[in-house]
Amino acid sequence: MFGALKEKLKKWITKNKEGDLDIKGHDEKKVDKSPKKQLSKKKKVKKSKVLEKQKDELEQSLEETINTPSEEKGFFIKFKKRLTEEKFEELFEELEIILLQNNVAYESVESIKKSLAEKLIGKNLKEVDLAEELKNAIESILINPPDFIKTIKDSLEIKSPFVIVFAGINGSGKTTTIAKVANYLQKNKLSVSLAAADTFRAASIEQIQQHADNLKIHLTKKDYGSDPASVGFDAITHAKKNKIDVVLIDTAGRMQNKDTLMKEIEKIVRITKPDMKIFLGESITGNDATEQAKAFNESTDITGIILSKSDIDEKGGTAISVSQATGKPILFLGTGQKYEDLEVFDKKKMIEKLGL
Amino acid sequence: MVLDKLGSALKSGIKKISNAIFVDKKLIDGIIKDIQKSLIEADVNIELVFALSQKIKKLAYDETIKGIDKKEQLVKLIHDEITLLLGKEKQLKLPKKASLMFLGLYGAGKTTTIAKLGFYYAKRGRKVALLGLDTQRPAAMDQLEQLAKQTNLQAFIDKKEKDPLKIIKQYSKDLEKYDLVLIDTAGRDGLNKELIKEIEKLDKRLKPDYRILVMPADVGQTAKTQAEEFQKALSIDGVIVTRMDGTSKGGGALTACAETKAPVFFIGVGEQIHEIETFNPESFIQRLLGMGDLQALLEHVKSATDEKQTKRIEERLQEGKFTLLDLYSQLEQMNKMGSMDKLIGMIPGMSAAKVPKNVLAKQESKMKHWKNAISSMTEDEIENPEILEKQTSRIQRVSKGSGTTTTEIRELLKQYKMLKEMMGMQSGLAEGKIDQKMMQKMAKKFRGKVKF
Ligand SMILES: Nc1nc2c(ncn2[C@@H]2O[C@H](COP(=O)(O)OP(=O)(O)OP(=O)(O)O)[C@@H](O)[C@H]2O)c(=O)[nH]1
Ligand SMILES: Nc1nc2c(ncn2[C@@H]2O[C@H](COP(=O)(O)OP(=O)(O)OP(=O)(O)O)[C@@H](O)[C@H]2O)c(=O)[nH]1
Ligand SMILES: [Mg+2]
Ligand SMILES: [Mg+2]
Repeated sequence: MFGALKEKLKKWITKNKEGDLDIKGHDEKKVDKSPKKQLSKKKKVKKSKVLEKQKDELEQSLEETINTPSEEKGFFIKFKKRLTEEKFEELFEELEIILLQNNVAYESVESIKKSLAEKLIGKNLKEVDLAEELKNAIESILINPPDFIKTIKDSLEIKSPFVIVFAGINGSGKTTTIAKVANYLQKNKLSVSLAAADTFRAASIEQIQQHADNLKIHLTKKDYGSDPASVGFDAITHAKKNKIDVVLIDTAGRMQNKDTLMKEIEKIVRITKPDMKIFLGESITGNDATEQAKAFNESTDITGIILSKSDIDEKGGTAISVSQATGKPILFLGTGQKYEDLEVFDKKKMIEKLGL
Repeated sequence: MVLDKLGSALKSGIKKISNAIFVDKKLIDGIIKDIQKSLIEADVNIELVFALSQKIKKLAYDETIKGIDKKEQLVKLIHDEITLLLGKEKQLKLPKKASLMFLGLYGAGKTTTIAKLGFYYAKRGRKVALLGLDTQRPAAMDQLEQLAKQTNLQAFIDKKEKDPLKIIKQYSKDLEKYDLVLIDTAGRDGLNKELIKEIEKLDKRLKPDYRILVMPADVGQTAKTQAEEFQKALSIDGVIVTRMDGTSKGGGALTACAETKAPVFFIGVGEQIHEIETFNPESFIQRLLGMGDLQALLEHVKSATDEKQTKRIEERLQEGKFTLLDLYSQLEQMNKMGSMDKLIGMIPGMSAAKVPKNVLAKQESKMKHWKNAISSMTEDEIENPEILEKQTSRIQRVSKGSGTTTTEIRELLKQYKMLKEMMGMQSGLAEGKIDQKMMQKMAKKFRGKVKF
């Protein structure tokens, strides 16, 4: 999913290497898709060498760009080997565009900028390794998720069932993802049941029922319009009685700015006392991803995040936005409509994919 | 309200332009940064954002346009460009008999929107049928069925059939009896070739009068790619933006659609059946800018600019002349305008709050003394006050002749130097050497030194 961002960052580094800092030139729309393959062919060892080389050249180019346009040479020259605030702004501007183009929320870009500025301004240019610093900044934002299965199994030693509530805005992929997670748990030898606690949306119960049937698992359901918290509660009671390991509670989609609906999810959490609360976001969401993740985190203190629809998205910045906004780990990425289209989020892999 | 942040950035940008004495590079750059930020936060496509910035810069840096003209043109440009970003208003004017096919990303709100629209048009006397062709999503048919029941509409669905073409065939006779057919399709990714091929096939078979793209308001930078891909495959006739009731600014969806030239016909503003509204970009902009139409904006610019004053200073400086008399007339004008406050208030970032209340009275008496002093000066001294400083004997002479203290005269000279320095920057403005920030610094200095 990070293909495009990786590509752009590479390009940025190379461009700086060439000392071409012209901001106007970001008309490289077509670059988005094509050279992806080319890059993945490069081996890791080679990559680090390439970066090393780029680093040297970048330093050189930085000095060049800083030194050349000036008229008053001589006296000032010895000061110019340090990265000034102005120069940093200029350099970051393009990086900023790349991040924004790749759907990183403005707020997160600002945060990355701040951490880079703190590190780099005033530094001797010889010591400045932008690729490395960027990697560090993004690394400090993304969080490695704990082992999902292990967490559950450990907890089951103490109490059972393990309850997970899924929440998010309308249509984000909660119901589908619940089916995927159920499938994943089953594959890991855990028994699962579902709770149809979305009692509002048309055919929400039929939808999750079909998934339950497909996966051959129990679904606790009530009539449309009944109290969602009570559906969750009943599902837990059923699981206790039937020694089911994990209960996954599906909730209705809700916009994060609707107070009554946010109160409702708080109530569901209060009643069902889940061991895990998952915010379900979409990887195609723009700046609002930050608002959404924050709001759900504030009202329910989420345990982690799942980003669905990352198969659509050729950008990937949303992962950075939601992590930065909540400080919570991304647990999985949804990568399609099939049950197996669920990927454990791997920070290291993600950063590698970024080409950093 | 959606795009409210953008609204306030635009408002403050326009206010800054209106109130500034000089429209210089730093001022413009600052405004552009603000507008950029809010557009980006609203998910407007980055390329569009930078294209707009370039246009503003180009006009702002154009030296052949000056003063109030430039301000007016800038405000007009910003207004027009934002309007353009959102596209022209177009009402969906359905023929007597019409079919609409809905398509878009997974979970965008297609099925719900179909029910909303069906309800909307049924209320307006249409005989509406809903046709379910989403054979992918579990219970998609049940969803359409339940929604139809809620809204008292006829739904044509098949819960077993997996081939949408067969469903079309099955119901084509029945559908002829309806004057509005709304067709639900499965969610799809515009970049997925297979799924695009499938929708093309349906399109060919159905030949709908309108192909409606459904796009959620919170979608980010991918909005443009998706809109383009769908547009390429099918030629989209219109767009409906859903989830406009959230906190997202809708910029990605709205502007992406404007770019495909497909008008936004409706916006979805909630989960309930009746929560759908027509979309009017112009009134949207008006709400955004918080003040009527473009004309009202331009009036505001005019009233905020003391054109004559700025012109005169400009002229004097262009002639390379700025004398004590000019200073005097400037100060006098400021007095008329209601003291220093006004001038200070006209400089962005300066506040007049700190100027004491009795300043006006003191200033008036001071002005009298200065007037006397100036009338005791030679023409040469008035034109080139610098010579007074060089030769203190001249100051003494003027002091005696006018009955003012030498301190007062020195103060007058200081004021002159300061204002000249401040105004002198005007000449540097064109080359972009001097900016608003420096102006503000100067103004601060200026204010600090004015001891009335
Ligand atoms: N391509 C793709 N589609 C997905 C993914 N996750 C969910 N979807 C699709 O997105 C649409 C909405 O998914 P749902 O699971 O119904 O979403 P929801 O959050 O439960 O929706 P509401 O309950 O209505 O709020 C369906 O068409 C899903 O198949 C994913 O990872 N990739
Ligand atoms: N808040 C809000 N929710 C909406 C709006 N429009 C649709 N929804 C909700 O968004 C979710 C998804 O809507 P659907 O109509 O199922 O979306 P879809 O595009 O048909 O989904 P797929 O068929 O799976 O691709 C549902 O929970 C709807 O109630 C809207 O304008 N505002
Ligand atoms: Mg659901
Ligand atoms: Mg649907």
